[in-house]
Amino acid sequence: MKAGILAVTPAFFRVWRRNSQVYVALLKFNILPSLAEPVLFITVFGLGIGSYITEIEGVPYIEFVAAGILGSAAIMQATFECTYGSFFRMSIQGTFESIISTPVSASEVGLGEISWGASRGFVNSSLVLIILFFLGILDRWQVMFIPLLMFVAAFNFAAIAVLVTSRIAQMEYFRFYFAGFILPAQFLCGTFFPVSRFPEAVQVIAWTIPFTSVIDIARTLMLGRPADFALFLEGAWVFISTLIFTELAVRSMHKRLVR
Amino acid sequence: MILPMVVAAKSLNKRYRDVVAVAALDFEVEKGQCYGLVGPNGAGKTTTMKMVYCIVTPTSGSLRVFDMEVSLQPRKIKARLGVVPQENNLDPDLTVCQNLMTHASYFGLSRDVARSRCQELLGFVQLSERSDSRVPDISGGMKRRLVLARSLINNPDLLILDEPTTGLDPQVRHLIWDRLLELKDRGITLLLTTHYMEEAQKLCDRVLIMDQANAVDMGSPAGLVRKHVPPYVLELRVERRLIQKIQERFRHLGHQMSGQNVYFYGNSQDEFEEIVAAYPDTERIMRPASLEDVFLKLTGREIRQ
Ligand SMILES: Nc1ncnc2c1ncn2[C@@H]1O[C@H](COP(=O)(O)OP(=O)(O)OP(=O)(O)O)[C@@H](O)[C@H]1O
Ligand SMILES: [Mg+2]
Repeated sequence: MKAGILAVTPAFFRVWRRNSQVYVALLKFNILPSLAEPVLFITVFGLGIGSYITEIEGVPYIEFVAAGILGSAAIMQATFECTYGSFFRMSIQGTFESIISTPVSASEVGLGEISWGASRGFVNSSLVLIILFFLGILDRWQVMFIPLLMFVAAFNFAAIAVLVTSRIAQMEYFRFYFAGFILPAQFLCGTFFPVSRFPEAVQVIAWTIPFTSVIDIARTLMLGRPADFALFLEGAWVFISTLIFTELAVRSMHKRLVR
Repeated sequence: MILPMVVAAKSLNKRYRDVVAVAALDFEVEKGQCYGLVGPNGAGKTTTMKMVYCIVTPTSGSLRVFDMEVSLQPRKIKARLGVVPQENNLDPDLTVCQNLMTHASYFGLSRDVARSRCQELLGFVQLSERSDSRVPDISGGMKRRLVLARSLINNPDLLILDEPTTGLDPQVRHLIWDRLLELKDRGITLLLTTHYMEEAQKLCDRVLIMDQANAVDMGSPAGLVRKHVPPYVLELRVERRLIQKIQERFRHLGHQMSGQNVYFYGNSQDEFEEIVAAYPDTERIMRPASLEDVFLKLTGREIRQ
């Protein structure tokens, strides 16, 4: 049995659709709670701290931090969906086993989950984008590329999450993942202040995490800064790492499900 | 012309790390048959079935379903299968009907086709009234019937049933038996595991008895009974302290032990007369031998850990 992205057919979308159906059925539990964190961030960092730090890198703090809040909304949503959510479907509900007993393959379940997690991150950050719009912080046309970028960022984190999910025996291991990777990523990647403020070693670590590049690209777009070649390389890193993690996650999910 | 078998396993093996779950298994299921796998807990029945529905990969040997090798064409094979797994894995967030609709979508059925199949199948398993209930709100028997309905959504040619009636009340069990026989009449091949020998005897044309990963014997239920045990059985329920005495006294009659029961086997009921005369007040049942006796004889009466 072949595994991996190349073995995936459009049938993966059936898994996406199953998840979206459940999402819609439980809509009221899904939308508002996931907006709580970004709204809190806007309040605390943008308006609260922002009233002290009036300017950073030459722009009002709220405009600086908006990219970080958007990115954070995207990756956190994707991460929750593809860690606890996927694990629950996989191990507790037996959903994946019921799906792979049909013509849908384990690799397709893997990609279906990742793309679903990415979609949730996309939806969540898009809602935040709308809020930011009404706060009057978005006034450049480049902002229209933000949702696509956030989709890729969410895809990246969904893939890593599915990779982790497919490898752990019990849910408690997610605590290590959150404490050791997600929380640092959320705060070290230039989300709330420039990476350049960290010691060199921390900067190196931060730049290996593709999220740092995502934030940098988002900020460049939102603040209307000129794009340079470095930005192109950052984009390439986000894209390539997403591809790599997706392939690893899909293969790993196959290995987990088909014994 | 020889018709290809629906399932054909040749020296099929499955090892999970250091556990041998299935060893050198050979069996063939003909089209339209109901084929039963029986054996104690851990014998390897579920593993065998999972290999047939392509979610467990054989370690070695050949396994062909619809004349296709499971490792090469799982997608084509699975498109023609229906599966009732040992553990219900219904979607608790969806309604009864949505469970069927979603499952239909995995087979790529259109919504219209799925909707009409859904109505029809809910009728078939007598769940039409519960169409809009959420899964956590229906009873265990209803869930099992829903899983059966779900397994039929793609009009399968082969239906795989892993303990379809375990834990169900007699009414539901009879309903499921009726339905399975009806499906068999329609020409659907059934591959079934069960711990109820009565069920195997009633439904199966062929039974494979497994024990500790190995096939012990295979045949029709009646054939297996004829081959392994005399036609009559006397079951005595006795006090523990008497067991040894009885065993010694009637050593000349074939017998087996199981807990507080002693089972005597005979070729006619007359052979039991002296036992009955010696222990007239003991609780006893005289009955024809059944598949259960074969099972207990071949797989040992004592529970293995
Ligand atoms: N995923 C797995 N990893 C390791 N060992 C396994 C796995 N699945 C099954 N086994 C082992 O393989 C053997 C056969 O198990 P299997 O589930 O096939 O038995 P079974 O005949 O269906 O038993 P039961 O009647 O209890 O359902 C057992 O020893 C079991 O512990
Ligand atoms: Mg089993």
